[in-house]
Amino acid sequence: MRDRGGTLPQPSEHDRRSVARTAITLACALLAAALAPHAMTPSTARALGESSLFDVRSVDHEGGNPRPRETAPRRLAWEVRKRTSIDTRLEPSRARLDDPSIFETPFLYWSGDAAFPPLSEPEIAGLRRFLGFGGFVLIDDASPDDDGFDTSIRRELSRAMPDAPLARLPAQHTVFRSFYLLQRPEGRVAGPDHLEGITLGDRVALVYSRHDLGGAWARDNLGTWEHSVTPGGEAQRERAIRLGVNLAMYSLCLDYKDDQVHAPFIMRRRGAAIP
Amino acid sequence: MSDARLALEIPGGVISALLIAAALVAVIVIGLRHLGVSDVRRRRALIALRVATALAALLVAIQPTWSGERLDQRPGRLAVLFDASRSGIVRTGEEEDARTRADEAEALAARWSGAQRERAPDVYTFGAALRPARLETLAEELAPIEDDTRLAAAIEAAAEGPAGDELGAVLVVSDGADLAGGALETATRLGLRVHAVALGAGASLRDDAIAEVRADRVGFLRRTAMVRVTVRRLGESAGEIPVALMRGEETLRETAVVVPEDGEATVDLAFTPDRLGRSVYRVVIPTAPGDAVPQNNERAFLVRVARDNLRVLLVAGQPSWDERFLRAFLTRDPTTDLISFFILRNTSDMTMAQPEELALIPFPTDELFHEHLGSFDVVLFQNFEYAPYQMAGYLPRIRDYVMRGGSFAMIGGPLSFSAAGYAETPIAEVLPVGVLPRGTAETQAITTDRFQPVLAEDASRHPLVALLPDARANAAAWAALSPLQGLNVTTDVRSGGQRLLQHPTRRDRSGAPLSVLVSGSAGRGRVMALMTDTSWRWGMTSGGQQGDASAYERFWDRALRWLSRDPALEPARIETDRESYGPSARMRIDASLADERYVPLGAREVTITVLGEADRPLASADVRTDGEGRARVELVAPDEPGGYRVVAVERGATDVLAEEVFVVESGGQELADPRPRPDVLRELAARTGGEIFEDPEQAPDLERFDATRVRSLGVVTERPFASPWAFLVLVALFGAEWILRRRWGAR
Repeated sequence: MRDRGGTLPQPSEHDRRSVARTAITLACALLAAALAPHAMTPSTARALGESSLFDVRSVDHEGGNPRPRETAPRRLAWEVRKRTSIDTRLEPSRARLDDPSIFETPFLYWSGDAAFPPLSEPEIAGLRRFLGFGGFVLIDDASPDDDGFDTSIRRELSRAMPDAPLARLPAQHTVFRSFYLLQRPEGRVAGPDHLEGITLGDRVALVYSRHDLGGAWARDNLGTWEHSVTPGGEAQRERAIRLGVNLAMYSLCLDYKDDQVHAPFIMRRRGAAIP
Repeated sequence: MSDARLALEIPGGVISALLIAAALVAVIVIGLRHLGVSDVRRRRALIALRVATALAALLVAIQPTWSGERLDQRPGRLAVLFDASRSGIVRTGEEEDARTRADEAEALAARWSGAQRERAPDVYTFGAALRPARLETLAEELAPIEDDTRLAAAIEAAAEGPAGDELGAVLVVSDGADLAGGALETATRLGLRVHAVALGAGASLRDDAIAEVRADRVGFLRRTAMVRVTVRRLGESAGEIPVALMRGEETLRETAVVVPEDGEATVDLAFTPDRLGRSVYRVVIPTAPGDAVPQNNERAFLVRVARDNLRVLLVAGQPSWDERFLRAFLTRDPTTDLISFFILRNTSDMTMAQPEELALIPFPTDELFHEHLGSFDVVLFQNFEYAPYQMAGYLPRIRDYVMRGGSFAMIGGPLSFSAAGYAETPIAEVLPVGVLPRGTAETQAITTDRFQPVLAEDASRHPLVALLPDARANAAAWAALSPLQGLNVTTDVRSGGQRLLQHPTRRDRSGAPLSVLVSGSAGRGRVMALMTDTSWRWGMTSGGQQGDASAYERFWDRALRWLSRDPALEPARIETDRESYGPSARMRIDASLADERYVPLGAREVTITVLGEADRPLASADVRTDGEGRARVELVAPDEPGGYRVVAVERGATDVLAEEVFVVESGGQELADPRPRPDVLRELAARTGGEIFEDPEQAPDLERFDATRVRSLGVVTERPFASPWAFLVLVALFGAEWILRRRWGAR
């Protein structure tokens, strides 16, 4: 568990249970690692090359802290590969927004937990062009209790996309049922009951979460979760992972689950979906 | 010289000249006041010299210049243009036995042909085009069958005719109902004098007509279509006119429209096509007693009825960027009905959830590939492996669907082609490329390198890869796209297939370049194989890095249209110059013939035939195409109104290479407005220096029409005071005055 303040808080009853769980998980992970040493290493990709793989590429920029959840992209890539038929790159890459290579893979994961200075004009132009030509950006505020990153992000998005403002995504949006049936967004914290997004044409090109999704996904090489999840514990972590999978699925399938043929199935299952 | 113009070459023009003149007048006046000579005769001589000197100085200073066009006038030839358009059938009186405009023209031709003259005129008939004729036989030959009156084109063609530079004037015998306009501009540009004899000018006209019909050429099955009808009434008081929309003898809609006297009214009629293919619809109004042109009480139009939308089935083996961008492209087009299924999880995936927590539905294989397969225009397998979904039993149905005329495309990926085991299935029978058996070395050796696909030989004309019309620019456009990554290894291109894109360096087991994109046919269907799953890079990667993502959309747009047999992308085409003709009108037919590989057929013997009901041949012409597979023929349209088709067949063969449909109308556009337009002819004659005769019987013999040929010899410019002599005269005048003043004792 990391604490941004630099001092360790007194463990609560919940945290003590979490530590115990972490210890058990660590033991299991060590055993698993011993039995299957390659379980966490990239398997042979089935894709025809890296251009076909789903890469949770992180955004780099000057200032702030663009890497608050260093292991989160890799964990998301792993979970997506494990749970779905999507081929992923298990060692996600990083790129700046002014790097032409961002157009090599259409998914960007932009995380931060602190304010950052304005992006350069080439970075703004790169972001605008990335979204305009079909890219998908997931922005993850790792410090929902602090407005620093939030303020900076809103400032940069209004520069890059002045005609397409951030707007609340409805609870019925496809991102909540692109793979798993979810009721609301959750991450390391419960956070607001909605996601925000930028819609271009008929697709959501950018999703902004203030739930610290990466904090719930982050897990070290030994399999230990790096952050406790509040208030829902491991069930909430599972839902955060599912939301990550859904977002990856949405970026690849768009409104596929809005097709008419899916409607009766989804309507029928909605009632039985997990809370 | 004509239109001579005076100019001053002094800077400042007239103002400078006036200032100099004023200064010289002042010099004269001052000089006279101080002349100092008392003898009247000497005084007058000095004044005259002073004025002459000032005048000479003024002329030398302002340099007046005369310029104008020098014309050469000499006797020229006369071209006589007889209007052969169908408006010639309109009667010039209300009686049954009244003459038609064509009768007036024939009578004139007969009178002129009997006259003796020194120089025979050049005689033509005209409608849409100019045709040579002979005055002696014109009275018998002049048939008003042309669907257009294009006077400007006729004058232009006459000027380019055998008379050439000798043409001095054009005599037009016409009702002036020119549909195209521009005759005055053409005659003025060519410097031709135009005389005119107006036909039907003095007659009053009583006519109800369908002036215009506007309907979409393409309709959709069971979707409401509209036709807008404009009705015109001439020479009758305002009233209600019933308008009926018919197909065959069946009345589909009927309404009434109130039309003012000598005015128009418009009405919209809705109809719903209920059968696929082409249908001829008619709009009909009743024929009132005394109607001068009953032929224009009916108009026909052709509607090609298609399915309302293109139905596409996309089955994808796993979510990927290629599938995402293709789905986005397909859903963006409102005319495409997309049914897509993506395999979101495999049996080996661990979803960590109960089924009710997932938004997954069973893959409805039976519904798709048994019940509804025939309803799709195009079926796409994108990186899809059939085996895990018990699909083996459906593959023969897909093969049969293609053989019956359906379209199928397989798109690459690790779950496609050889890797998915299609070599042993009926799908391999329709694919345009060979598929390796599963387990062979190449099957596993899917290439993963980046490569720039290159156009295969003879492929640049194929619509799938013709991003640009010019072959070199097209190759450059492909070279500029972002490279692809990864390729399914296939073998030979099958019979009927055409390699369109290929790997720049790698070879298949036969030594041929590794195929990237192959098109082909199987039975009556079309098939395509794209051996990569990174075509999205032509969109987003190229777009992001170069600012233009259109190549991706153009490629897939063409692919869908080609697979679904969009007529505009057929390799062989026939085009008629119009969609609608009058009875017995001349039809101009252009054929552009290529084989299934879009390679022009070259020089071939081809028969072009007009077919009526039950494919009964009504007219035909044999023609030899040029090196590019092109040919043009003229045929006569059938006599009876209705829908027809024209086909091209290679001589000695039976397969139709290309076909087009057209309609024959009893009235048509030429008779939609039958009013004569003597005002057009009047202005044409007046502005070109010609004469007009609004009563054909008053028209003189051809000898009397002025055919003087006026030719420009160029612009001539005269500068009389620019020579040294002018300056010497000035000096001499000034010297003479000075000497005389000195001698006579003046200052």
